[in-house]
Amino acid sequence: MKKKIVASLLVAAMAVSMLAGCGDNKSADTSKEDNSKKEQQEETQKSDDNNSDDDSNADEEQASGEDVTIKLFSNLPDRKNGQGLVEQMIIDEYMEANQNVTIEVEALDEEAYKTKFKAYAMDGMPDVVSIWGQPSFLDEVLDAGVLAELSEDDYADYKFIAGSLEGFKKDGKLYGLPRNTDIQIIYYNQKMFDDNGWTVPATYDEFLTLCGTIKDAGITPVAMDGGDGWPMATFLTDILVKIAGTDYADIISNAISTGDFTAPEIKQATQLLVDSAAAGMFQTGYDSQDYGTTMNLFTNGQAAMYCMGSWDASMALNEDIDAEIRENIRAFTMPTVADGKGGAKDIAAWNGGGYAVSADSAVKEEAIKFLNYMYQPDKLSKYGWENGVGMSAQDQTAYMTGEETELQKQIMNILTEATSVSGTPINDCGPSAFKTAIESEIQGVSNGSTSVDDFLAKIGEACK
Amino acid sequence: MKKLYSNKWVIFSLVLPGVLVFLFAILAPICLSVYYGFTDYSGMGEAHVIGFKNYQDLFHDSAFGRSLLNSLLLAIGFICIQHPLAIIVAAVLDKLQGRAEGIFRCIYFIPNVISVAVIAYLWKFIYNPDFGLLNNLLKAFGFQGQVNWLSQQNAIWSVLLVLIWHGFGWGMLIYYTGIKNIDPVLYEAASIDGAGWWTTFFRITLPLMKPVIQVNVTMAIISALKQMETVYLLTNGGPSNSTQFAANYLYQQAFKAFKYGYGNAIGVIFIIICIAATIVLQTIFRDKKEA
Repeated sequence: MKKKIVASLLVAAMAVSMLAGCGDNKSADTSKEDNSKKEQQEETQKSDDNNSDDDSNADEEQASGEDVTIKLFSNLPDRKNGQGLVEQMIIDEYMEANQNVTIEVEALDEEAYKTKFKAYAMDGMPDVVSIWGQPSFLDEVLDAGVLAELSEDDYADYKFIAGSLEGFKKDGKLYGLPRNTDIQIIYYNQKMFDDNGWTVPATYDEFLTLCGTIKDAGITPVAMDGGDGWPMATFLTDILVKIAGTDYADIISNAISTGDFTAPEIKQATQLLVDSAAAGMFQTGYDSQDYGTTMNLFTNGQAAMYCMGSWDASMALNEDIDAEIRENIRAFTMPTVADGKGGAKDIAAWNGGGYAVSADSAVKEEAIKFLNYMYQPDKLSKYGWENGVGMSAQDQTAYMTGEETELQKQIMNILTEATSVSGTPINDCGPSAFKTAIESEIQGVSNGSTSVDDFLAKIGEACK
Repeated sequence: MKKLYSNKWVIFSLVLPGVLVFLFAILAPICLSVYYGFTDYSGMGEAHVIGFKNYQDLFHDSAFGRSLLNSLLLAIGFICIQHPLAIIVAAVLDKLQGRAEGIFRCIYFIPNVISVAVIAYLWKFIYNPDFGLLNNLLKAFGFQGQVNWLSQQNAIWSVLLVLIWHGFGWGMLIYYTGIKNIDPVLYEAASIDGAGWWTTFFRITLPLMKPVIQVNVTMAIISALKQMETVYLLTNGGPSNSTQFAANYLYQQAFKAFKYGYGNAIGVIFIIICIAATIVLQTIFRDKKEA
């Protein structure tokens, strides 16, 4: 009998411990709610601390509205610098102006962001999300129907640059708004150029010759982040724009839809990339080096040029970089290619990152209101420009302060003087399987272990 | 107490949590993986069943072939380089006795204690052609020019070196414990009979270590197959898939290329290979035992 009692006690203990694991939904939810309320309070408090002194009045005035929590999922984990700072500034301002609204931010870096985005897509998205207006990201997302449609008419006065909304549309409907305009740039160290009597090349042949001269001087000509794959793909895009001119977009979209990349322009551009790498244009081991290492080569003065997007113009404001180098960073765009259709002012530029609202958001209206607030021309654009994070997708000329760095002015000129803009870089034009393939295969073709024909065949295969 | 353990309800309640964990955390995901392996699921939206298409594609996928070959190379590296060295070092450590034994045991185990992320970045810097330690050492010995340790041709060997080095301490520690468990009386008897170091090693240590070697070799092969973190951080499979490993490739396909179905097909093949490897190893060792 005693044993039976012990046995049943043991069973009961087991069952209780397991049930405890399952927990009571309701109580769990409430505790979650409590937590989020606590967080809300803390965050509100934080924003109170950060901002002006007469908050108490505002509190009383606006506490009447119904409490709303907007969840923002962002790809900008650094909230104290660059774009993340700008985003946070606007959030704080919005919460200040709308005391009943709390914005909870979850921020991850790009790769982790994209992975979690997918998990959210299956199981309920946060209300406002970062997106990329490029087929490699947006196609699958729009097919899954997780983003809310926006009314294009609402943005007539938002001064978006012509064509910048195109990447965020499907079947004529708008699903997101672009945050930046990115330009493919070749940064160079002007002091190093002047000291050695080197000049900015006007043609690709001159560029190759210059690289040879620099290499002979014992300096790396161009620092290239080949380990990541995409910077080389945008470099290839830039060459292709100089060869194909305004036909670039048609050639690429045709190649993507048919899976046939044998167009002579693509072949010639790839061959030029291969020849350049073989001639020693990039640092030794470029195909395995990451972003930071590559950038350091340039900012330490070990490389004369550095190939990257316009977002790195903030180098000119980065106090960690030696002043002698920082103040001498200048920019030029890809030199023209002999017999190419693209002129010096046909540039490789695109509108990549941006924001969208979740289709199933419980606070959709409030989320769209916040989105529209962010995009008021004096918010993202103005703050972005003032913080040197590069160019927005809206007209920024009104916010010139006169204190811009030489580099900022140069890049602004490149954009304003451009006769044509390429649109999405080649690696982001196709499905994400194509993006993964080209970013990996481009390493093999540039270092000579894959032939140009095999490379084009392989990336074509990934489109099918 | 004995009767208590023969009560079916007690047995049931004690076993149940384990069974539930196995069912829902291992078996169910595997079944889902098998299902998704037959679909074109992108990770979002609808999944369409496409039969064996993923497996056919996998068969012709050179990057996947390369990743399996690399796993094989790593397994060979583990068995032929890492483990023999680990056994010898363990045997020498055992003979050292005293304070030196503890110090060297610690030193050899240090790489295992350091986080994989740190290890990967450490080696990234060591291999860097411009400012890396290796090239600077070569320069000090008068070698001119830069060796590109992570080039398409060299990268896999550089990666294997890191992996073998990193796992060395773990293998050594298990062998070391195995050796410590051998009855010292045997060594005494052998030395009375006039056996030298080599004879004792080959006639006593090695044969008695057989069960430990079996476990260690099986674990080494499984860890070669599921290698991911170090490679992901060191080269991410590049340049151009030359250092690709199955687990990393699976991750890339499922989460970067949005080919979730394809990723699951890789996962299924991966499980089959792991099970097959384990069975083969068990058979090999069992045969030896019987012989």
